[in-house]
Amino acid sequence: MPGVRQHAVRTTEVAVFRRDKYGFEWAAWVMFAAIPAFIFWQAATSLEEQGAASGGPLENAALYPLVIASLMILVVIVQFVRILFRRTNPPQEEQQLDTPRALAVTVLFMLYLIGLPSIGFHILTPLLCAIMMRSLGLSWMRAVFGALVLWLVCSFVFEGLLNVVLPVGMFNLALFS
Amino acid sequence: MLDLLYAGASLSFNLHALTLTTLGILGGLIIGVLPGLGPLMGIVLLLPLAFHLPPIPAMGMLIAIYIGGSAGGSISAILLRVPGTPLAAATLFDGFPMAQKGRAQDAVGLAMTSSAVGGLVGGLVLVFLSPLLAKFALRFAPPEYFAMAVLGVLTIALVSEGSALKGLLAGGLGLFLSMIGTDEFTNAYRFTLDSFRLSSGPHLVAVVVGLFALSEVFFQIQTGNLLARPNVQRLKVTFSALKILARHKVNLFRSSMIGTFFGAIPGAGGDVSAFISYATAKKLARAEEKYGEGAEGGVVATEAANNACCGGALIPTLSLGIPGDASTAVLMGALILLGFFPGPDLFRDHPDVAGGIFIAYLMGNAILLLLGTLLAPVFGSVLIVRKAWLLPAVLLLSTLGTYALQSSVFDLWVMLAFGLIGYIMRRAGYPLAPLIIGMILGSTMESNLRRSLLLSQDGLMIFVERPISALILLIDLVLLVAIVYSTVRSSRPSGAGKEVAALP
Repeated sequence: MPGVRQHAVRTTEVAVFRRDKYGFEWAAWVMFAAIPAFIFWQAATSLEEQGAASGGPLENAALYPLVIASLMILVVIVQFVRILFRRTNPPQEEQQLDTPRALAVTVLFMLYLIGLPSIGFHILTPLLCAIMMRSLGLSWMRAVFGALVLWLVCSFVFEGLLNVVLPVGMFNLALFS
Repeated sequence: MLDLLYAGASLSFNLHALTLTTLGILGGLIIGVLPGLGPLMGIVLLLPLAFHLPPIPAMGMLIAIYIGGSAGGSISAILLRVPGTPLAAATLFDGFPMAQKGRAQDAVGLAMTSSAVGGLVGGLVLVFLSPLLAKFALRFAPPEYFAMAVLGVLTIALVSEGSALKGLLAGGLGLFLSMIGTDEFTNAYRFTLDSFRLSSGPHLVAVVVGLFALSEVFFQIQTGNLLARPNVQRLKVTFSALKILARHKVNLFRSSMIGTFFGAIPGAGGDVSAFISYATAKKLARAEEKYGEGAEGGVVATEAANNACCGGALIPTLSLGIPGDASTAVLMGALILLGFFPGPDLFRDHPDVAGGIFIAYLMGNAILLLLGTLLAPVFGSVLIVRKAWLLPAVLLLSTLGTYALQSSVFDLWVMLAFGLIGYIMRRAGYPLAPLIIGMILGSTMESNLRRSLLLSQDGLMIFVERPISALILLIDLVLLVAIVYSTVRSSRPSGAGKEVAALP
């Protein structure tokens, strides 16, 4: 029985791994397949409306995009067949991946970008760095200390030395300018 | 060629340029030492900063990062058996055994000095060959430029790691990105979805930073080991490696030439040249040298080759506007954004800039010789920095650098989007370099295609009527056949496993 269970676990692992492996292959394929479709759609609508989808090489802004899109369609079809018949092999991950942590950091960064224009750089950045450092495993004390140092050094270089106007937000906060 | 150096001297020999080149070497070495990061990441992170500087000091700093980053990977290969960059993968064959025998100091010293001397040899070839190639390229007209741009994209797609087909798709995405914005001939808005923010297309730097830096941050977080701190042997400052290097001068020169040659072939890259030069050195060595067990010659061969490769890669980049790899593609992008388009016109119209870049490259290698030896203990200790400190710093630098370009939060969203796209592409085994090269060469390709058709009385015949253009297109055709052949071969059931993990 233990042998059967081990086999079942191994089979499940392999299945999950395969789905994951080809999941990224399909996601990438959809992304690449969308490009020629988008080019053809825009050539028939937006460029046509602007009067830039016909005529000689000087007037036709759709000529080159359509050539590239046509070539891409060929490659996309071949790649579709290769993935469908498992004739492509995505990179194999040899170690356990910590996806939830990476996802959490991505979401955190998205929230940072959403809040940046209204709340401002000097409030959100130390927060982002501290939470990120903490989520990467540092203690709260180290995370807060590291975040403050990183925020001050970067602010000094970009705002103080390079005169970049960082997002001031509703509180109109600027440190070095 | 001496007149180029003379023209560039005033722009390069000043405190500003010297300081930035030195900082570039330091930064490059530090980032090269850290496993997972590399010269490309260094260039990407400091690229936005370069636009706040005068052109030559800016290019000097970026080229210095390229040089330092290519050399720095050897330190972790020798001390930890983990190459800091793929370029240093062959260095561990003999570097790590040397360290195990208590000769870590010699191995690191040899790696630094060989890198610097190899880089200087590559630099001399660059200085002598680039102007000749650029002079020849002055005969080029739109059909030849179009054919060369196609050559650049096909070569990089063919030789990128992963499958050639995937390289081609990545190149196609890059070409598409170059089309977004206002068409230069008709002023029509293309693929902007009526957003004025896209009227100039996505900013190259936002795309590059997202693809390489942000996707790397996601990758590193996912991989874990964020608090790991390896045990590292302590290094001391010594110049004894120079004496040892003198015993390997033939190997040093041969490996430098191999590195320069492979660097000049678009797509071949430093890792390929390092392995070939190692194999050559091993084949020609005496049996008692014992390659693979801590032979000094092994470290010399690989490190001289991978740094000489930098000089070689700059030859087609500067003289023809065809980048050899992702790093030179980003350097070329930086030069374009600073207002100078690489190619024969750069040598004719801005000899001071071309000469200044040559001097910056040579100066960078001279500084590497000095700093790489004097500061080896510092670079060794960089290895104990935890990823949990490093990754937020990379994220913040990427964010600030990208924002500073146009004070635009929209660019940050573009950066994030391309971070996610880069992540998906890497997980699916797509190389990233063709995307950047496609994006950079796309506008050259389109404008020269349309100009050629305008000039032509005979449609597409203009491309085959001109001998140089016909020859380059013939090479393009051969490359296309090679791509089809490699795809068919890897599509057979037994060949499906031959694709390897893509690296940027």
